[in-house]
Amino acid sequence: MISYLIKRVFQMVVVLWVVSIIVFTMMSFTGDPTYMMVPLDATEDEIANARMLLGLDKPYIVQYGIFLKNILGGDFGRSFVFRQPALGLIMERMPATVEMVLVAMTLALLLAIPLGVFAGAYPQKKTSRGIMAGSLLGISLPNFWVGMMLIFILAVRFNILPSSGRGDTLRMMGVNLSILTPDGFKHIILPAVTLCFSTLAILLRITRAGMMEVMKQDFIKFARAKGATFRSVLFKHALKNVLIPVVTIFGLQLGDLIGFATITEYIFAWPGMGKLLIDSIYMGDRPVIVVYLMFVAFLFVIINFTVDVIYTLIDPRIKLR
Amino acid sequence: MRYFKQSGCAVCVIALICLMLSPFAVEAAEKSIKIALTADAVHVDPQQGNELTSNIMFNHFYDTLVRRTADLSFVPGLAESWELKDDLTWVFKLRKGVKFHNGDELQASDVLFSIERCKNQLMSNLVRYIAEAKALDNYTVQIKTPKPYAVLHMDLSEFHILNEEYVKKVGDEQLNLKPMGTGPYKLVEWVKEDHMTLAAFEDYYLGSPKIKKVTFRPITNPATRTAALLTGEVDVIQDLAVRDADRIKANDKFNLITRPSLLNLVLALDYREKSPTINLPLNPMKDIRVRQAIARAIDVDTIGKVIMNGLATPSDQYVPSSHIGYVDGLNFRQEYPFDLEKAKALMKEAGYEKGFTMALDATNNRYVNDQDIAQALAGMLAKIGITVNLNLMPKSNFFGYIRVPSNKSSFIMSGWDTPSGDAGGMYNSMMYSRNKKKGYGQANRGAYASEEFDAWIDKADATPRVEERDKFLQEATKIAVRDIVLIPIHYEQDLYATRKNVDLKPRVDKFIWTFELDMK
Repeated sequence: MISYLIKRVFQMVVVLWVVSIIVFTMMSFTGDPTYMMVPLDATEDEIANARMLLGLDKPYIVQYGIFLKNILGGDFGRSFVFRQPALGLIMERMPATVEMVLVAMTLALLLAIPLGVFAGAYPQKKTSRGIMAGSLLGISLPNFWVGMMLIFILAVRFNILPSSGRGDTLRMMGVNLSILTPDGFKHIILPAVTLCFSTLAILLRITRAGMMEVMKQDFIKFARAKGATFRSVLFKHALKNVLIPVVTIFGLQLGDLIGFATITEYIFAWPGMGKLLIDSIYMGDRPVIVVYLMFVAFLFVIINFTVDVIYTLIDPRIKLR
Repeated sequence: MRYFKQSGCAVCVIALICLMLSPFAVEAAEKSIKIALTADAVHVDPQQGNELTSNIMFNHFYDTLVRRTADLSFVPGLAESWELKDDLTWVFKLRKGVKFHNGDELQASDVLFSIERCKNQLMSNLVRYIAEAKALDNYTVQIKTPKPYAVLHMDLSEFHILNEEYVKKVGDEQLNLKPMGTGPYKLVEWVKEDHMTLAAFEDYYLGSPKIKKVTFRPITNPATRTAALLTGEVDVIQDLAVRDADRIKANDKFNLITRPSLLNLVLALDYREKSPTINLPLNPMKDIRVRQAIARAIDVDTIGKVIMNGLATPSDQYVPSSHIGYVDGLNFRQEYPFDLEKAKALMKEAGYEKGFTMALDATNNRYVNDQDIAQALAGMLAKIGITVNLNLMPKSNFFGYIRVPSNKSSFIMSGWDTPSGDAGGMYNSMMYSRNKKKGYGQANRGAYASEEFDAWIDKADATPRVEERDKFLQEATKIAVRDIVLIPIHYEQDLYATRKNVDLKPRVDKFIWTFELDMK
C-alpha cells in the first residue's frame, strides 16, 4: 500500500509538471498578453511599465523558471487580468461548480442504475426499448440546446423555475451552498438536470450492456437454482459484477464535469470556475490557465486513485499495486 | 379529520400569500433594482483596468474631479471649478464637505495621492498628461501638464479619486475587493460571477440616490439575459441580443432602448512603399485613386442592413458630432459614395485594372458580427478586382499581431472608442507619423505620414484653449478624410431592455449609472 501511494504521488508530480510545460508552450503561441491589458493607444513606455508589472519583461524560459520556483514555495502565480493569486480565483469559484456537478452526478446515478438494470434484465420489453431510445437522445442532444430549451419552457413559458444564477446561499463549513435554501434549490435544478443528461445516458447504457452479459452467465443460473429471488439476483449477484466499468466511467465523468462544465455554467450564469477558464483563454491570462489545467489534472489523479480503491471494495480479487 | 386537512390547507395558502406579499411591501418603501450586465467586474480598483463592467462599478463607488454627463458634456464634479493659470498650469478648487463612505472628508491630499499612486499602476495612461501636482491648500490642487493640453479636464473625468488613508491601510489587494470612495453607492456584498449588491450612500454630495439598493448580475449568455428579463428576475439588461429586439419591442411590459455607441469600426490602409501582404514592388494603396476606389467599393448601408439588422449607424467621420474635432457638414459617405463603376474606373486609371491581392486582418470575437463584416468586405472588394484573403483571429492574438510596426499587415479592421469627447487622442495614436514624437503614432497601423496633418495636431496640442484646439483638429479631420487615412464603417448600436417601470436614459459612453436611473 505504502509503495503504491509513493508511486502514485510520484506519477502525479510528473503529470502536473508535464501539464505545466504543455500549457506554457501553448501559451507562447498566443501572442503577448500585455496588449490585452493596456489601452489601445498605450505608449511604448506605458506598455513597458505594464509588462514589468506583469513580470512579462523577462525571457520566456526565465518566466517558466520563476513559475516553477514559486510553486515549490506554494505560490501559484498571479492572474494578469485580475491581479490576484490564480489559485485563489479558482478556489473561490470551485464550490459552486462542485455543488452543481455533485447534484447532477447523484441524479444521474440514482436514475441510471435502476433503469440500466431494468433494461438489461428485460431487454425485450417495450419500456426497455423506450429507455434505450431516450438514452440515445441524452447522448446526442447538445448540452447548450437542452439548457436553452429548459430555460425557455420552464422559466420563460411557465415561470416555474428561475432561469439563471445561484439564488440564496447558506454558508456551511466555509463554503456557500445553494442546495440548503429553498430559493437556491430552485436555482440548482435546471443546471443540474442539464448537466446530468449525457452522464445519465452513458452510465445507463454501460449498466445495461454489463447486465445483459452477466445475466447469461452460469453463476446467475446457479443463484436462481438455489432459490434466490430474481430481485436479489439482479441487484446482489449481477449488479456487483457490472459495477467495475460503471465506477470507472463515473469517475472520469465526474472529473470531466468539474473541470469543464463551462457550457452549462455559461448558459445558466452559474458562478463556477469553468467560465473563468474560458475568460482566461480569451484574455490570454496564462497564470490562471496553467493553474486551472494543473488543478484539473490533479483532480483526475485523485479521482482515479479513489476509483482504484473502490475497485478493491467491489472485487476483493483486485489488489492495489 | 377531513375538515382538519382542509383548514390546514387554508392556513398554508394564507401563509403563502403573506410570504409573497411581504417583499412587495418592503419594495414600495424603498426602491431597489436588479441589473444584468454582460460580465462581472474584473476590478473595483479604478487604477487596475478599464473594461466596461469595471468602469461601470468605478462610477458607483468613486467620483472624478470633472463629471462627464450622459451626453458627453463636462461639468464640475469633486472639483467645483477650475481655471487655467497659464498655458501649463491648471488649478482645481475642490468642493468642501464631500464625504467618503467611511465619513472622512475629501482633501487635496487624497487627489495628490491618487495621482502619485496611478503612475506605477497598469492604468498609468490616466495620468499621462500630469507632469506635476501639488496642493495649494486643503481644497486646492494645482496640476502642471508637460505641454499645453486643452482637454485635461476631459481626461480627468476618467480619473477616480481614492482615499489616501484607506488605501494605505488596506493595501492594493484589499482595495481591489473592498472599494471605498465618495461615490453614490457602497459595496455590500460581492460574490464573484454571481452578484454584486450595492447600497445607497446617503451622504452623497449630489444628494441621496433615488434607488436604494442595486444588484448587478453578470449573465454572459445573451439568450439567458433576455430570459432573465422576461421572467422578471432582473429589471434591466445590457446588450440585448439583436435577434431578441423585435420580441421585446412587441411586448408592452418592456422598453427597448437603443443608441449609437462611440465605437467606430475603421479600416486602416497601408501607406508604406512596400506592403507586407501585397506581392508587388510598389504598394498600390500609395496611390490616392486606389484608396478612393476601395472607399467607393464598400457599401456601408448594405453591411448595416444585412449584417447588422439595421442596428448600426454608418459613420460620417472618425468621431461623432458631439466631439471636439468634428467638422459640421463633412460626410465621408458623401465624399466617397458607394459607386462600383466609378471605383472600377479609378482602379483602371491608377493602372490596377486587373487588381491585386492582399490580406485583411480582423478579429472574430471582438466587435459585433466582425467576422461577417470582414467576409462582406472581401466580397465587395472582389468586384473591383482586389482579392482579399481573410486573416481572422481571436482578440487575444489580434492586438499583438497588428501592433505597430504592423509589419505583417496591409489592411486592418479594428474599432476605436473615443469616450473622452475629443478626437485628439485618436488622431495622435492612429494617424500621426510614426516614430516622430514620443507618445504619437503608436497605433498608426497604416503608417500614414503627412507633414500637413502632423502640423495641425502639433498646433492642437500646443494650445491650452479648447476652441482653438477644436479648430485645429477640424483641419486635421478634413485632411484625414481627403487622404483616406482610415475608412470609417459604422458605429455599433447599444441596446438595452428594461421593464416598463424603469426610467433609463442611455449614456453615450455606455456606462450604466444607477444614480441617474429611476423607477416608477
